[in-house]
Amino acid sequence: MSQISRRQAMAVLGALGFGATAAACAGPGGSTAPGGATGPAAPATGDITGRVSFAHWRGEDKAVFDELIKRFAAKNSGVEVVQDISTSNDYNAQGLQKVRGAAIGDAFATFRGAQFNNFSEAGIYTELKNSKAVGNYQKGLLTAGQSGDSQLGLPYQVVFPMPMANTDLFNKAGAELTPKDWDAFLGMCEKLAASGVVPISWPGGDVGNGGQLFNCMIANNAPVDDMCSQIEQGELKCTDDWFIKMLNQYKDLVPYLQPNATGTAVEPAQNLFSQGKAAMLATGSYHIAAVRNLGATFPIELVFPNTSTDGNAKFEGVYNATFILGVNSASKNQAASAAWIDFLSEPENAGYYANETAQHVSVKDVEYTNADLKRLSPWLDKKTALAARFQFQNLDVRNAVEASATAVISGSSPEQAAEAAQKIVDERL
Amino acid sequence: MSTHTGMAAKRKAPENTIEAASKKRRSPTRVNPALYLFPLPAVAIIAFFLVMPTLQAFQYAVTDWNGFSAAFNYVGVDNFVRAFTKDSLFTNALTNNLKFVLLVVIAQTVFSLLLALLLTKNSRGNVVLRALFFFPTILSSVSVAFIWKFIYDPNFGLANSALGAIGLEGLQGSYLGNNSQALYWVAVTQVWFHAGQMMVVYIAGLQSIPRELYEAAEMDGANKWQQFKSITWPFVAPATSIVVAYTTVQSFKAFDLILGIAGNPPKGSLDILSTRIYSTFANSEFGYAAAQSIIFMGMIALVTWLQRRLLRLTPKGE
Repeated sequence: MSQISRRQAMAVLGALGFGATAAACAGPGGSTAPGGATGPAAPATGDITGRVSFAHWRGEDKAVFDELIKRFAAKNSGVEVVQDISTSNDYNAQGLQKVRGAAIGDAFATFRGAQFNNFSEAGIYTELKNSKAVGNYQKGLLTAGQSGDSQLGLPYQVVFPMPMANTDLFNKAGAELTPKDWDAFLGMCEKLAASGVVPISWPGGDVGNGGQLFNCMIANNAPVDDMCSQIEQGELKCTDDWFIKMLNQYKDLVPYLQPNATGTAVEPAQNLFSQGKAAMLATGSYHIAAVRNLGATFPIELVFPNTSTDGNAKFEGVYNATFILGVNSASKNQAASAAWIDFLSEPENAGYYANETAQHVSVKDVEYTNADLKRLSPWLDKKTALAARFQFQNLDVRNAVEASATAVISGSSPEQAAEAAQKIVDERL
Repeated sequence: MSTHTGMAAKRKAPENTIEAASKKRRSPTRVNPALYLFPLPAVAIIAFFLVMPTLQAFQYAVTDWNGFSAAFNYVGVDNFVRAFTKDSLFTNALTNNLKFVLLVVIAQTVFSLLLALLLTKNSRGNVVLRALFFFPTILSSVSVAFIWKFIYDPNFGLANSALGAIGLEGLQGSYLGNNSQALYWVAVTQVWFHAGQMMVVYIAGLQSIPRELYEAAEMDGANKWQQFKSITWPFVAPATSIVVAYTTVQSFKAFDLILGIAGNPPKGSLDILSTRIYSTFANSEFGYAAAQSIIFMGMIALVTWLQRRLLRLTPKGE
């Protein structure tokens, strides 16, 4: 073997270093968004075979998806679907980078709002406007997956980010489940407190789950329906009267929350509710399965904290259409990925998913056999507002605005909390 | 002919070998050039995973790239200016981080030195206690975060339950829910997590101090404090240097512990530089996040250098 001289060794190392430097200096944004000027293309067609990676964040639904995957594979021999699951927080933060090259996520889901918009902007979604699946969805619920004229994604789940109620405790306390205005809501809380339970279990120590209450509190207080977009754009302000009024209503809730609510994580909050120590869990219907797993056997209803002060509320509740399914434009196996999305969107399979995970779906003609879903189905026809917090495109703005509510519950004055939030919004205008 | 030449060469060979050997003896530092290839894998790994991303960070830092678009603009030093003058979330994270570093460095250094002083002797009991105090170090930071999240939970947590059990309900609190205290409670967790590791560094330092010095000091009438001040402290200075530097870097980068204990994103009172950078990346502001990362890197270097200068932990000439 010939020996290498010191000079040669240095030359090799130098070349390596130069290569690394040159590679590092290649400009950012090296990848272009597929689709270009003509807009996103429909998924490629072909044989439904090969491996499909399905990226999402619903770890709790893994077994249900496994069963659906089995059924899909039985129908299409030679196809294999594997789930790539991240935690919801990680998926929210890194989903785009993970899915972008399609190393994972031939088919994937996104959260409504900022994540869906970023995925759309990055050209990751293909066009599903003419897909077989789109016809299976309720038309009004498809908007969350639209971008301009394109139907990029199919919002699969319908959740109600409103407090869940233990109706046994409500009956015992003689509290009504449908307060007509804010005073009635506080009266309801008072009755529950008087019966010896914590009226509201609120995970104030968990930004994501604690923030769901914000959807309810802002829905009837804001002067417009796109209030969060307008706050972000500087057209509305956290220091506006309506916002301060909302923060004052948060302050009204303090006596009815569990002690030290701002330090409570989501699991202990769920425990308080499932053990019958708290009458409401202020997160949303997406936690039904979790509290059932914790042993809750009581009937569960939803309660809308109606912030209206004159009884003329515009909305009777809030909902969110999320888990927006899509086919990756960079996927090498778009045909099988699209077939998987079509399969999930069939009423029978969507029904299986819904009933097993205790979550409503946007797919039409689904028969809900799950007792909780059956009981909550009337909410699908009520006048509900689309959850406002997902209008925020900038997560720092969203967190700052929602943190103003937490600050009020911690003891800050509504005015101070609003100013602190507005300062952060202003910095990002 | 060739046979004769070959034989002649063979006869000359011993002379050549001796000559070569003596040449080698003349330059004992000469190494086989092939040895330069040995570090190549490590150099390549460092180049691709450390040098390249660092260089890229500098390049991204002067752009407004969002992490996925083909288009971006060069913004010069705007991202750096924004971080210090127009972003209260960043300055809040910086303040929190400096406070956290100060707290943890002081508490962890003092606590680990104290433990080491108590457990220096290699008795059986001390060995067991050392293992016990070292144990948290082998846990993953996520496990530690979840253990302490449970301890601090105001409703079902160990801390409030224990206080309630001994009749100290008045001291029960919200812990992580209290914005003015949250950082201190996380600092307690961080010290619990790493003090055992630092204790081991100190024990190694303490055990290398010659016993004769203490005996001589005792004969001269020095009390325990004087012995500590004049013998122990100067001799453990190198160990302190390691402990302080390591703890500083560790505290700056307590990313996983904070995210595990406070959730993602952490609230303002628990946001430190690493979590802020992560939030900025997650917010699709790659250019700005890269600028924050560079500030972060500079901050660690500056604080570590300042510590070494102020504490004079490295003796001159070393």
